[in-house]
Amino acid sequence: MKIFWAVVGKELLSFIRSWQLVFVVLYAFSFEVYIAGSGIELKPRNIAVGYIDASGGGLSQKFLSYFHAPEFLEPILFESQEKLSQAVFDKEIMVGLVFDDTFEQNFRKNHATTLHVLLDATAASQAFTALSYLQNIAINFTARTFPVELVTHKLFNENADNHTFMALTELLSIVTLLSVILTAVVFVKEKEEGTWDIMLLMPVNAKIIILAKSFSQVIIVMVGIVISVGFVIFGVFDTPINGSFFAFLLLSFLYAFTGAGIGLFIAAIAKDVMQVAQLSIVIMLPLIFLSGAWTPIYAMHPWLQTFSLISPLRYYIEGTESIFFRGTPFLELYPYFLGVTLVGSVVYAIGFRKIGRLF
Amino acid sequence: MELNVENVRVYHKKSLGIAGASLSANEGEIIGFIGADGAGKSSLIHAIAGVIPFEGDVTFNGLTYHSPKEAEPLKPSIGLMPQGIGLVLYDLLTVDEHLRFFANIHNIKQDVTFKAYKLRLLKMAGLDAFQDRQAGKLSGGMMQKLSLICTLLHRPKLLLLDEPTTGVDPLSRIELWEILDEIRKSEGTISIISTAYMQEAAKMDKILLFDEQEIIAQGTSSELLDSVRAMSYVEGIKTQEPCIRTLHATYCLSPLEAEHTEPSLEALFFVNALQKGKKMPLIEITNKEKTVELPDVVMEAKGLTKVFGSFTANENVDMTLHKGEILGLLGANGAGKTTFIKMLLGLYPIDGGELTLLGKSIQTQEDRQALKASIGYVSQHFALYNDMSVEENLLYFASMRGIAMDVAKSRISRYALELGFDEYLNAMPHELPLGINQRFSLASALLHEPVILFLDEPTSGVDAIARAKFWELLKALKERWEISILITTHYMSEAEFCDRVVLLRQGKKIADHTIAEFYAEHPKAQSFEEIFLEYYR
Repeated sequence: MKIFWAVVGKELLSFIRSWQLVFVVLYAFSFEVYIAGSGIELKPRNIAVGYIDASGGGLSQKFLSYFHAPEFLEPILFESQEKLSQAVFDKEIMVGLVFDDTFEQNFRKNHATTLHVLLDATAASQAFTALSYLQNIAINFTARTFPVELVTHKLFNENADNHTFMALTELLSIVTLLSVILTAVVFVKEKEEGTWDIMLLMPVNAKIIILAKSFSQVIIVMVGIVISVGFVIFGVFDTPINGSFFAFLLLSFLYAFTGAGIGLFIAAIAKDVMQVAQLSIVIMLPLIFLSGAWTPIYAMHPWLQTFSLISPLRYYIEGTESIFFRGTPFLELYPYFLGVTLVGSVVYAIGFRKIGRLF
Repeated sequence: MELNVENVRVYHKKSLGIAGASLSANEGEIIGFIGADGAGKSSLIHAIAGVIPFEGDVTFNGLTYHSPKEAEPLKPSIGLMPQGIGLVLYDLLTVDEHLRFFANIHNIKQDVTFKAYKLRLLKMAGLDAFQDRQAGKLSGGMMQKLSLICTLLHRPKLLLLDEPTTGVDPLSRIELWEILDEIRKSEGTISIISTAYMQEAAKMDKILLFDEQEIIAQGTSSELLDSVRAMSYVEGIKTQEPCIRTLHATYCLSPLEAEHTEPSLEALFFVNALQKGKKMPLIEITNKEKTVELPDVVMEAKGLTKVFGSFTANENVDMTLHKGEILGLLGANGAGKTTFIKMLLGLYPIDGGELTLLGKSIQTQEDRQALKASIGYVSQHFALYNDMSVEENLLYFASMRGIAMDVAKSRISRYALELGFDEYLNAMPHELPLGINQRFSLASALLHEPVILFLDEPTSGVDAIARAKFWELLKALKERWEISILITTHYMSEAEFCDRVVLLRQGKKIADHTIAEFYAEHPKAQSFEEIFLEYYR
C-alpha cells in the first residue's frame, strides 16, 4: 500500500512538473468545452437570399417580408434566373427563390402554387434548417385553408438551448480522450526514457504499479471534470442539474477507469508517444462514433446500433444526460452504471493483462 | 581551400556556448576537438557548419559568414554529422535507399561517376554486402559508417563530425578512421572531428582542448604531451602536494621525487583540473550496513542462448562471475553484450541454457522476484525520471524497494558525499553533466546494497576525469563490499582495470581470460586495444 501511494504521488508530481501537459489538460477541460458549447451553431444566421420575381409582386413581396435578421440578410433581387443560378454557384447567396409568372395567379385561382427554391446544399445543416424555415413560412400562407395550430411543449431543455447539450457532450468526449491518452503516455514515457527496465527490476508486485499508475491519471481526469463542470458547464452555460451530482461523479470515475483500460492496452502496443497518439485516434474514433455523441443512436443502421452497445461512452453519455436534464433518480440510473461497469471492467481487464505481460 | 575561424562566440539563449574560439586549417588537415561533455565543442562545430547564428567570423573558401543565411552558398561544400548514433538515418530505409535519398536532397546527378563513387564509399565502409538491409537493423558501428558515407556523398570540402565514434566499438572506430583518411587524401577535405577517444585524437594533425566554453590549448599531439610530461608520475604516490591520482598515474603540478610516466592525452584534463584548482571528490566507500554470506560463484551461466526471430543474439554463452570480481564484457556493437546482460536480469526471457544466480537456479519469475533485492543495474542511458530532482529520483527508487524513509535518507546523503554529487541533489537530471548522472545512477543502483552489479556501458560519452573517478569507485566498492561487477565498455583502456575479460563476437564467446593471461598470450601487444583487435581481425 505504501508503494501504491508512492507511485501515485510520483506520477502526480511528474504531471504537475510538466507544465505543457498541465496546460493542455486545463485547456481541454475549459476552453475546448466552452468553444464546443458556444461555437457550434445549428440555427441559420445571416443567410444570403436572392430572388427573381416575374409574378407581379403582391404575394411575393409579402412572402419576402418574412426574411429578416438575424436569420436572413435582406433578400437581393436578380434580373434573370441565369444570374441567380450564377450567384448561387459563386456562393454569393445560399437560397435562391424563383417566383415565376404563374405564382400568384395559381395561388389566387387554385389556392395552390409552386415556388422554386435553389439551395446551396454544401453547408448541409444550415441549408436544410433554412429550408424548414421556408416551409414554416409557406405553412403560414396555407394555414388559412388548413387551420391546425401546433402548440409545442419542450421537455427537459426548456429553452431548446443546444449550448449546454453540446458543451456536456464535448466534456464527455474529452474525458474519454484524456483518460486514454494520459494513461497510455505515463507508461510509454517510461519505455521511451528507459526507466521501464529499472521499474521491472524493482522487487515490487507489477499489479500494484499498473493499478497505481492508472489510478493517478484517473485522479487527474476527475479533477479536470470537477473544474470543467464547475466553471464551464455551471459557470458559463448555467446548465441546470436535475439529478444527483454525486451520481455523475461516480459514473465519471467508473468511466475514467474504462478509459484508463484502453490506455493500458495502447501502452502495451505503442513504442513511443507518437504511436500513442496515432493508436488512440484509431481506437477512439469508432467508440465516439458509436456512442451517439455525434449521431443519435436511433438514426444509425441497425447493425451499428447493436455495435454501439459495446461503446462505454454510450452509457456514459446517456447516463449523464439523464442526470443533468431528466433528473432521473439515483436508483433508476442502474442501466447506465451497469453498462459502464460491465464494459469498463472487461476493457480494463484486457488492458491490465496485456500490459501485465510486459512485466 | 582554407578554413579560418576568428573569435567565434555562440550563445544558447542566455548561456554561453563557446567564447572567443579561433583556429585555422589547411586542405586535407584533420583537426581534433577534445574536452568534457558541455565544454563547447558541439557549439563551435555547429557554428562553423553555419547552422546556428554566432558572433565573429568564419572564412571558408574565400567567403566570410556570420549567420546561417550567409553560409547558404557554401552549404554544398560542407558536410555535418551531428552527435548521436544513427541520428541522421531513417530506421525503415535500406542502406541503398539512404544513399539515393541523400543524393537526391543534395541534387546530385546519379550518373556513372556518382555510381562509381557510391560503390567506393560502400566498399570502404564495408556496407556493400548490406545494401538491402534497413538502417534500423544495422549495428551501432555500421550505422555510424552509413551516416558518414551519407555525409560524404556530395563530396564536401569541409567535413564536421560531432563525436562520430562515441559508443562505437574499436573495430568500427578504426574503419571510420580509415574512411576519413582515404577521403582527405583523395579529396583534400578539411575535417573537424570531436572525440572522446584519446587514441584517435593522437592521430589527428592538430588537437584543440576545450574546457568551460574556451579553447585552452592547441597543438599537435606531441606538443601537447610535452606540455604535461613533467607533471605525470607513476600511480600510487603518496604526497602532501595537491595532486590527482587515477588507476593509471598520479598528476601533480609541483615537482615530486618520483618516477615519471609517459602521459597520454588524457593527462591534459587532469593537469588542467589541477591548474584550475578543482578538487576531485574523495572516493571513500564506507562498509555495508549489513554483510551477507555469499557463495564463491555468484553467477553462473551455462549455454545461454537468445534468439530474435531468425537472428541469434547469443549462442551458447558460458560465463561465471566470482565473489568480489570485476568482469569486463567486451565486443563490437551488436555482438550481444546488452542482450546477454538483459537475459541475466530477466528483462529478456532465456531461450536456452541454464542460469544460476547466488546459488539458486533461475526457472520462474518467482525465483527472480526473490533475487531482485540483491542485484543492481545501471542501463546504457542512465535511465532516470527527468521531471524529478536527483533526490526525488533516489527517494522514489528507495520507496519502490521498500527501504524505510529514514534509512533511505541517510544512505542518499552518504552516497551523495561519497560519490561527489551532493551539490546537485536538488537539480533535475537533464541539467547535469553526463558524468554526474552516471554517478547518481550508480547510487540508485546501490541504494539497496546489492551484491551483484550489472553496468551496461556506464562510461560512454562521459569525460576522462569522470571516468577515472568512476573506476576508482568501482575498485573501492569491490574491495569494501566484495561486490561482483559485470561491466561492458568500449574503452579498451578500461578493460585493463577488470580482473577478467570476456570477449563476445556475433553472440558467441571467443575468449575468457584474466588480463595477465591475455598479455601472456599476446606478448607483442602494447595495449589491450591491440589484443582486442587481434581477436576481431
